[in-house]
Amino acid sequence: MRHPADISGESRRLDALAPKLMGMAGGVGLLGLIISVALAFMTEDGVRRAYHAYMVNFCYFLSISLGGLFFTLIQHLSRAGWSVVVRRLSEAVGANTLVMLVLFIPILLGMHHLFPWTSAELLQNDPVLQWKQPYLNAPFFLIRCAVYFGVWCGLSYFLLKRSLDQDASRDPKITLSMERMSAPGLIAFAITLTFASFDFLMSRDYHWFSTIFGVYFFAGSFLSFMAILPVILLFLKSNGRLRHAVSAEHYHDIGKLLFAMNVFWAYIAFSQFMLIWYANLPEETGWYHRRITGDWLNLSYALLFGHFIIPFLGLIGRVSKRRLRLLTPWAVWVLAMHWLDLYWLAMPEYWLRVEGAPVGTIPFSLLDLSTFLGIGGIWVAVLALWLRDHSLIPEGDPRLAESLAFENA
Amino acid sequence: MHDHTAKPQTKAEPSTRVFAVLAEFPSGDEMLEAARKVRDAGYTKWDTHSPYPVHGIDEAMGIRRTILPTIVFVCGLTGALTGLALQWWTSSVYYPVIVSGKPMFSLPANIPIIFELTVLFSAFGAVFGMFALNGLPSLYHGIFNSGRFNSRMSTDRFYISIEAADPKFNRDSARKLLESIGGQSVEVVEERAAVEFPPMLRKWGITALLVLGAFALLPPLYTLRARTRTSEVTRMQLIWDMDQQPRFRAQMKNPLFADGRAMRPQVPGTVARGEAFADDHLHRGLVDGRFAATNALPVTESLLQRGRKKFDIYCAQCHGLDGLGQGMISVRAERLQEGTWVPPLSLHDEVVRTREDGHIFNTITNGIRTMPPYGDQIRVEDRWAIVAYVRALQRSQNATLEDVPSDRRGELP
Repeated sequence: MRHPADISGESRRLDALAPKLMGMAGGVGLLGLIISVALAFMTEDGVRRAYHAYMVNFCYFLSISLGGLFFTLIQHLSRAGWSVVVRRLSEAVGANTLVMLVLFIPILLGMHHLFPWTSAELLQNDPVLQWKQPYLNAPFFLIRCAVYFGVWCGLSYFLLKRSLDQDASRDPKITLSMERMSAPGLIAFAITLTFASFDFLMSRDYHWFSTIFGVYFFAGSFLSFMAILPVILLFLKSNGRLRHAVSAEHYHDIGKLLFAMNVFWAYIAFSQFMLIWYANLPEETGWYHRRITGDWLNLSYALLFGHFIIPFLGLIGRVSKRRLRLLTPWAVWVLAMHWLDLYWLAMPEYWLRVEGAPVGTIPFSLLDLSTFLGIGGIWVAVLALWLRDHSLIPEGDPRLAESLAFENA
Repeated sequence: MHDHTAKPQTKAEPSTRVFAVLAEFPSGDEMLEAARKVRDAGYTKWDTHSPYPVHGIDEAMGIRRTILPTIVFVCGLTGALTGLALQWWTSSVYYPVIVSGKPMFSLPANIPIIFELTVLFSAFGAVFGMFALNGLPSLYHGIFNSGRFNSRMSTDRFYISIEAADPKFNRDSARKLLESIGGQSVEVVEERAAVEFPPMLRKWGITALLVLGAFALLPPLYTLRARTRTSEVTRMQLIWDMDQQPRFRAQMKNPLFADGRAMRPQVPGTVARGEAFADDHLHRGLVDGRFAATNALPVTESLLQRGRKKFDIYCAQCHGLDGLGQGMISVRAERLQEGTWVPPLSLHDEVVRTREDGHIFNTITNGIRTMPPYGDQIRVEDRWAIVAYVRALQRSQNATLEDVPSDRRGELP
């Protein structure tokens, strides 16, 4: 058995890094949002376009946050020892669902741009929409969103708060209370994430339906968290934080989960595609048809190779998982592909039901970048805020020693 | 042999040899420490034994990383390629069948099988590769000759054994090393020089095998008996639903439908695959409602050859190989003085020569006077090939000097 890593002399706090990070990321975020607003009002059809870009990036950072929440929950549920040293990071990422709640407000304001089912005119002429109206209506949508964010924010704040309490009190009972919460918490998480993905992304083409869609969004969500974890770790390490606490053994397991989730994403993506392709029913194929028309086909192939085959070969080896400087580039690659995946999920419907739309073209815009920087900057700043006055690892966790001595057999 | 004096000889102590030197350790940590020292002493054939997996033992024993992942990867790749090749060959080469209107070879449909075979081959590679690398199955291991080892190894003690097969092995130095690194109750384990089958197993094992073998013969014998006899009893139906499926056979009544027919008529307007006949020129020989003047297919040498072949098969019986109307059937019918026989028109007759290609095509397809229609027998492309060949025949009988290439006119008599 490896002896627990000696962390007595190392820096486990952000300290001076926190205000610097908050200032820089927050500045980039605000600037990004201001530029987005300016672009939205300056370009043709800019407001609608801006809302679409905002939606893609909102879902992107929401999925990472939910991935962090899921990671924390599953570690508690399985009473995992290995992951304790990175759990504070997942708790903080999960708690970012709180900032996503604030960032959700613009989407509520722009609902009529993003969700065609809010249109009274369409409702009158579309029997399919009339049939779905008991579910797809604005008041019920708002109630559902309140439930989603209630569950996410409640769970993630509880897990972060209790864990921070434990830093001071070192009370193992706190661990038990978090473990007890994780089982019902995961059930609530699964239900809310599934319906949120239906509401935010699938309902954009309200004619279309796919029961596996929630699992697809979940796969991307957990994958993106496993990808952002090495990035955060490399940032902390190169700034002299957590030098010894997190070792190659931990990267190895993070890399394994990253690899596994990447394969899982491909499995789910293909499962959804194959059933629809094989049955060939018009009400289901329309959604895919948009994604294989014109330039979108290239993007679909880019996902097939870039999101699955290339990282599959890159991450299958042992070395690329155990060296942070090899793992992180792959993690960044996966993060980029996850962004492309969400773009692919949300953006083709931009042309849907638009008279004379250039079908098959990809409406890339500067707004995609500016909203990314806007939401991303604020997201990083809030992440630093959670960690500002606290340790980067759960100091009081009874399994900390086990995690510090962790070794892949 | 029933010689009583022989008995003591068989009971005599069999000759033994040293298998290994064995040392006991009270904890996993101590064993781990000791293992590092045995490793550093340069032994190669030695082993550690523990009731549970001990972290770090690979490093302490100096075991190289296993090649099992590589074996699994290669097996998985083989599985993927096998799945791909199997489906490609069966579904698009050996027995091509259209399923759900998908292409014969379509990757999306093949992925599940490729995936399953990848997993299956990988699992085989992992399990059997692990067996092979560990030298399993092994029915005998010398270490079990130690009584102390047998009684405590799987409960609360840890052991290190240095085997006699090690090139560096020396009974005394191995013993000394193990004692110096904290080994307790160091013992020399001896095994029988000749490995014997335990008499208990030999006696009962062979009996059990014979009984099992006899039972195993019963089902094939029963099958054989059933196959060579007749019986008036209805055959046993294990899965009744499958043998007696409720279904409507041809010509039966079906009260589900208003007309009471089980055989459903085609929906009006149904067109079978490949029978849309959308091209008027190709399928009817018509252009703008009139007979087409030209062949619907480009006239090439291969089309003419094809037309000649089909003409000789379908047309020459009456029209003759040369098209003059002196085919075997016609000749014979005239010889028999058949009153109803109308001899075929010579294809070189002015009437036929001036007919449009589409008209001749129409005649082949639908027949004329006593000539039966050939539309159901000859494929549409072949009918056009025959038209082209008929044109060639007509030209051969009415050729002018201009039809001969200028450089070869000198060869004419």
